[in-house]
Amino acid sequence: MSATPVAPNKPPQSPPPARDDAYERKLRARGRRGRFDVKASPYLYISPFFLLFLLVGLFPLLYTGWIATRNWNTLTGDGGVAVCGLICNSTEPSIWANFQWVMHQHVFWIALRNTFSIFALSTIPQIIMALILAAILDANLKAKTFWRMGVLLPYVIAPSAAAIIFSQIFSDQGGLINTVIGWIGLDPIRWHANTLASHIAIATIVNFRWTGYNTLILLAAMQAIPRDVFEAAVVDGAGRFRQFFSVTIPMLRPTLIFVIITSTIGGLQIFDEPQLFTQGTSGYGGHSNQFLTVSLFLWNQGFNSVTPGTPNLGRAAAAAWILFVIVVIFAVLNYVLTQRIASDAGPKQRKKKKAVAR
Amino acid sequence: MKNATRKGLVAVAGVAALALTVTACSGSNGGSGSASAGGQVTIKISTFNNPGFGKSTAQKPGADLWTEYEKLHPNVKIVEDNAASSDDARNAFNTAMSSGTGAYDIQMADIDWMPSITAIADKFTDLAPYAKTANGDWLDWKTAQGTVDGKQIGLGTDIGPEGICFRSDLLSAAGLPSTRDAVATALGGKDATWQKYFDLGKQYVQASGGKAWFDSAAATYQGMVNQVQYSYVNKDGSTIDPSTNTTIKNLYTQVTTAAKDDKESAGLGQWTDAWGAAMKSDKFATMLCPAWIINNIKGNAGETFKGWDIADVFPGNPDVKNDQGQPATGGNWGGSFLVVPKQSKVADEAAKLAAWITAPAQQQKVFLAASNFPSSPTAQADPQVKGKTDPFLNNAPVGTIFASRAAAVNVVPFKGAKYFDIQTAMANALNRVDVDKSQSAADSWNQWVQDVKALG
Repeated sequence: MSATPVAPNKPPQSPPPARDDAYERKLRARGRRGRFDVKASPYLYISPFFLLFLLVGLFPLLYTGWIATRNWNTLTGDGGVAVCGLICNSTEPSIWANFQWVMHQHVFWIALRNTFSIFALSTIPQIIMALILAAILDANLKAKTFWRMGVLLPYVIAPSAAAIIFSQIFSDQGGLINTVIGWIGLDPIRWHANTLASHIAIATIVNFRWTGYNTLILLAAMQAIPRDVFEAAVVDGAGRFRQFFSVTIPMLRPTLIFVIITSTIGGLQIFDEPQLFTQGTSGYGGHSNQFLTVSLFLWNQGFNSVTPGTPNLGRAAAAAWILFVIVVIFAVLNYVLTQRIASDAGPKQRKKKKAVAR
Repeated sequence: MKNATRKGLVAVAGVAALALTVTACSGSNGGSGSASAGGQVTIKISTFNNPGFGKSTAQKPGADLWTEYEKLHPNVKIVEDNAASSDDARNAFNTAMSSGTGAYDIQMADIDWMPSITAIADKFTDLAPYAKTANGDWLDWKTAQGTVDGKQIGLGTDIGPEGICFRSDLLSAAGLPSTRDAVATALGGKDATWQKYFDLGKQYVQASGGKAWFDSAAATYQGMVNQVQYSYVNKDGSTIDPSTNTTIKNLYTQVTTAAKDDKESAGLGQWTDAWGAAMKSDKFATMLCPAWIINNIKGNAGETFKGWDIADVFPGNPDVKNDQGQPATGGNWGGSFLVVPKQSKVADEAAKLAAWITAPAQQQKVFLAASNFPSSPTAQADPQVKGKTDPFLNNAPVGTIFASRAAAVNVVPFKGAKYFDIQTAMANALNRVDVDKSQSAADSWNQWVQDVKALG
């Protein structure tokens, strides 16, 4: 197959033109294939992820959007374009009707308030705690692995198991905490009846499980910070705190962004904990919706209130889309904020760098 | 060549990985892994609370009917998944029915689910021919509840005629009537009313030094609302305007006054752990007792617990009339059906099993082993059923008591499609007042009215 070099003693016209033609075509084809290979195969290699994403990410997202515009009941299926009905005084079919219906629900706004409240009570203290714990673990401790394992231990417990155990600890009648409070002589706290108390209880479950996980991620990032930066700071006369705020935190920025964004998404979608925190088997989220979250609201709507004739699944889908938009807004907001907060130390330098880069 | 092979391999691997995940998805989706391989059939059944079908345990007595059926049909294997409560089973069932896959071959369904099941009747197998073969028979209203357009899609298991369970030790300590007959008489016997029940409760609260009379306002209300023919929904399926629904308002006021002002309620949410645990404490003295709830009392208090008894009496409501214009007496709470979704791969075998298990002979065995009262007249008339006594309830003749309670029921409430959501909102409203104590009775009522309107 290899090209025979043209012998010098043979006349140059001798190679048969037909064969050469075919050969060249072949060569060209191979070249084309080669180029195609180089250009296309990387896409093929990464395609499984994107195909999977299409299948389990994008398609459900769009399909949920489609359901949200329809008069869709969980049991009886599609019933045409959605109609909002009595609550917004409209019998006109409209693709926004389910969204309007959700917006008109008093309960939805309570759920949104609860979601933000639980989110604030869990995510914020959680990340601060994780940072502090990571800083402590980063110090020169004895039995390092032991302490690190200890921090991660709650993460091993399944979320539902943690939620069940804690909802018993926080039980209104005969729960561990109320019993102890009783010994001291104080009135029992109504963990399931009082809105704020229930949020604190649920945030505790979340924090218990996720603080250690975030600690380890932050710890890993801290250990990756070059030690000479700290040495330089020490030489400049920076104390422990100054080092933490002016060196550690800015250097952690990319990791912090990751941790904050994932915690935000998790926090806004919170479901297991409030669902399992509910006592009894109906009235999920509390009898006056004390700890009803948006995802609990949409689950209730989609799979418990299945009354035939109501577009309950459409409404649940609309709520899901609203939640999606809120999460996206928060993720972007977080990104912007974290960029700013974490780089407070040297905004001027960054600007300079950018200018140079341009 | 080498290059091509590698590329091919990668492509194959990619496709395979994809295919794997796809099949993994569809595989995990299936609640019904039931297949018939080589004549072997696996039937999966979803139940809740204690249906009394399975092997007997201390917590859940049963008639061990699966073993019996498997002996009769060696090619059949039965797998029962038992959920703690009907609500738990229901949302899994709803999900499966909506996606068209993953439903159990047989699903036990509470009477409160039936409106939403009959709305999608074409997704269930008509069980009438199977029931005929198995000689099934039911009370007329029980058959009617499971029948749509002449198709019998639900076969009745049990019914829930209600008596009054009471703690004789607590009543006698408070100096009140404490035997079966005395309690029945004190509540008015045949002319028992809710007023008399709550009045006696007031006496008990005073005499016992502030102990509660009943377990939960929502549970007591359930007994009251089940006597109303058209409670929340009109015959044509439209919602009765909640703000002018005086019948419901009266029941609500009566039960919240007793619970809150007269401190007769223990403030326990039904089906909570605290509620279960209270059955062996002295927190409350009486509770409404549909036949099947005795399983729960026994399971929570323990077989050997002494004190519970049952009176052959149930409060009526002179203000609420049935179709014939008579005041409502007696009460039925719950009772279930078995349905067979058409999506089941072994629907035929499943239907045969459903018909067998609801046949009179099996209903009788279930009542004798557990406490689920038969919905079949043949089984009810059986001398063994009639003669059953329960040592847990101080040897009460439960067979005759529940037969008499079933006979007293003169209202079959109409539960339209919207009933379930409105009743859920009502239970929340009562629990806000009774369990959470987070709202006054008046505020909670107003919120219920808003909640019902928001459903529209």
